[in-house]
Amino acid sequence: MGSPGSERAPSAGDAASCPYCERRLETPFCCVSCEQLFRPEREPTPFEAFGLPLNYGVDCAELERRLLRYSRLVHPDFFVTASEDQRLIAEENTAALNGAFEILSDHARRSDWLITALGGPSAGDEKQLPQEFLMEVLEWGEGIEQARGAPAGSEARTALEPLAATLEKRRKESYRELNASLVPPPELGDERLTQARRLLNAIRYLDRTLEGLEALRLEQTSSH
Amino acid sequence: MGYIELDVLNNADPSVVMGIDLGTTNSLAATWRDGRPIVIRPEGGSGSIPSVIRFPPDGKPVVGRKAREQAIADPAHTIFSIKRFMGRGLEDVRDDLVGFPFPVTETADGLLQIDVHGRSVTPQELSSMILMRVHDIACRTQGGEQIPRAVITVPAYFDDAQRQATRDAARLAGIEVMRIINEPTAASLAYGLDRTAEGGRIVVYDLGGGTLDVSILSLEEGVFRVLATTGDTRLGGDDIDRALVGLITESLADKLGEEELADPGLQQAARLAAERCKIELSTHPEAEIAFIVPHENIHFRRRVTRDEFEDLIGELVERTLDACRRALSDAGLAAEEIDEVVLVGGSTRIPMVRARVEAFFGRLPHTELNPDEVVALGAAVQAHVLAGGSRDMLLLDVIPLSLGVETMGGAVSKVILRNSTIPCQATEGFTTYTDGQTGIDFNVVQGERELAADCRSLGKFNLKGIPPMPAGMARVMVRFHVDADGLLRVTAREESTGQSADIEIHPKHGLSDADVDRMLEESLEFARQDYEAGLAANLGTELGTMLRACERNLEVAREQLDPESLAELEEAMAAARSAKDKTILAEVQAARDALEQASMPLAAALMDDVAKAALSGKKLDEV
Repeated sequence: MGSPGSERAPSAGDAASCPYCERRLETPFCCVSCEQLFRPEREPTPFEAFGLPLNYGVDCAELERRLLRYSRLVHPDFFVTASEDQRLIAEENTAALNGAFEILSDHARRSDWLITALGGPSAGDEKQLPQEFLMEVLEWGEGIEQARGAPAGSEARTALEPLAATLEKRRKESYRELNASLVPPPELGDERLTQARRLLNAIRYLDRTLEGLEALRLEQTSSH
Repeated sequence: MGYIELDVLNNADPSVVMGIDLGTTNSLAATWRDGRPIVIRPEGGSGSIPSVIRFPPDGKPVVGRKAREQAIADPAHTIFSIKRFMGRGLEDVRDDLVGFPFPVTETADGLLQIDVHGRSVTPQELSSMILMRVHDIACRTQGGEQIPRAVITVPAYFDDAQRQATRDAARLAGIEVMRIINEPTAASLAYGLDRTAEGGRIVVYDLGGGTLDVSILSLEEGVFRVLATTGDTRLGGDDIDRALVGLITESLADKLGEEELADPGLQQAARLAAERCKIELSTHPEAEIAFIVPHENIHFRRRVTRDEFEDLIGELVERTLDACRRALSDAGLAAEEIDEVVLVGGSTRIPMVRARVEAFFGRLPHTELNPDEVVALGAAVQAHVLAGGSRDMLLLDVIPLSLGVETMGGAVSKVILRNSTIPCQATEGFTTYTDGQTGIDFNVVQGERELAADCRSLGKFNLKGIPPMPAGMARVMVRFHVDADGLLRVTAREESTGQSADIEIHPKHGLSDADVDRMLEESLEFARQDYEAGLAANLGTELGTMLRACERNLEVAREQLDPESLAELEEAMAAARSAKDKTILAEVQAARDALEQASMPLAAALMDDVAKAALSGKKLDEV
């Protein structure tokens, strides 16, 4: 093509440029400058989809801004009267974009994706929790079991009240540890990946328990 | 894919669009005109069409207002609230069958069949009759041109099977569905909050005839993004009516036996009276339930005060607030963080409902638009956007319930979580459980529960042709794709061999494409029969005229016919006499053709007579 922009050989990890207006492409789905729609050659990773560096930390406000910006360009609602091919690309791109958003916007899902992508063990391969966690888990489970079905205001219920706060605190701590084991990104085979997976298992457990507590709380509010 | 191409776009203006609210109680169409959505109203009418179908013992089904009016006199042949049956199985609709006028069965595939005077119809077909009526009236009101494309609304909490059923109903009605959108989201569009509000968080509380939806949206620079949606597809005005009917049956219990109480005529009459009373209680401190069932000799009257009514429905209203709590929790928001509250659905006219919602969110709700019309108006707004009329606004909706696959041991592995923005896709890896396993059965489920048995099964499929290998070695990637209508497509692929299965999830409680094609063909067949009956009637008239001419002329020209021709003619005339009132086109046609043929010699003889008379006394060269 001969133009200055395209002569530069794109190195690995370097974003491609738009074949129409030659601006750097933020996302493989469309060009935010000339609004052209593209069908990506291969399925982009969630980070590539949003033009973000492969990193544990993600700025959620920026992620949302990008979602809205790209959606305004690729959403199938704007292609109902376009050619069938364009309609299909719009639908596929938006689905991929939303799928990527679901992974990146959620701490646990993003970590899960990262650990696997960096060559770490999957949730099926590594099911253990960090050692110090096991005793606490049993204790919490017991408390919730007792409170389930117990009347509002009963001792079993009131005993649960501080639990949510404890769990939230443990969750924050676990995320801090997870952050430490994923930043900077560990090499393949690094013990930190197994450590990260175990922490994530713990976080998943905490999330489920918190959900259970939330369900109990809703149940309690509505019985008032 | 057996779609029937509808060649209806040819002469229609593509910018003319329609939004249709296919409601449990009433249905309504709206369009976009002069920069705003308007309800399509026939002259002197409200535009609202009762979602009611009456099947008189003989003759054609009646849809809409007439059906509803006649229902009071003939409740035993009238179907209400068919929306509750959409995409459901027999077990799901048990409660709705009390007082239902026709026998309901289920096919082996779990498809509901309603036996209407010996003919089996599905809820999809019944809904299509309502859609056809709404669409037809709307097109005629708009000047008669066909408006083939429409946006159709469904409750946000409708699952995949219910959405599929709605789409199929529209296809059966010959409507091209531009998009299926969620009712509460549509309502938020109708209020044009993108123009009046700076942005912020909106709650839509939609309590309709049969369903409750609570959706929380964020609005930012014209983008409406749904953060969370929750609801109950079996909670609505019908249940409020049912609570009042309970009051009636309680009072009648000492006079009537169980069987008499379950009489469809009595149940429907009581239901209609309960509904009238409920509506009156929204504006009066007390109202009367009154109805007559002649064949049971019942003259029922009972006064109900608003306090009594509120005691009766208090728990039900509280359940709707539980849904609000769940929606807030899913969106990660507190009630105080909500900026706007929008009320939708006829049941939000009930003062108690209004008061409780207002108190719950601490905000005066929007009620400026008619709660019965706001959904159709919003559908018209979205139809306008889809037709290319505006790029200023964008709607990002979500899937209401998680989608997943049943794993070994009956647990659910969720692939797409509830409240994910649609369209959406996700891939999940699965593997084999035994050595040498060459196939995997997948059960696709929708719901939030941990066990597949507690979720709704959307369909099952089998991936075959996996090469034998040790357990856990196969890598099967299952890809879920939810389209912009909220409908799911699943594909599976074994990575090492590339063996793939593109799954038409056979919809449980739904129609297959083949079913839809067959029904469309049948309806075309009915249309053809109608058309042919019309032709046969015309031909019959013509045949009668021919027959009378033959009779008249035969008197004059009998002598001139040879015996063979005379016998043939008399035979054809006899056949014509018996065929002329038939409705089967082919028979009338055959009789007419035979008579024409057999009357040729008679016509020739008459021509000869005429010619002779004309030429008598003239020389050949004078002719």
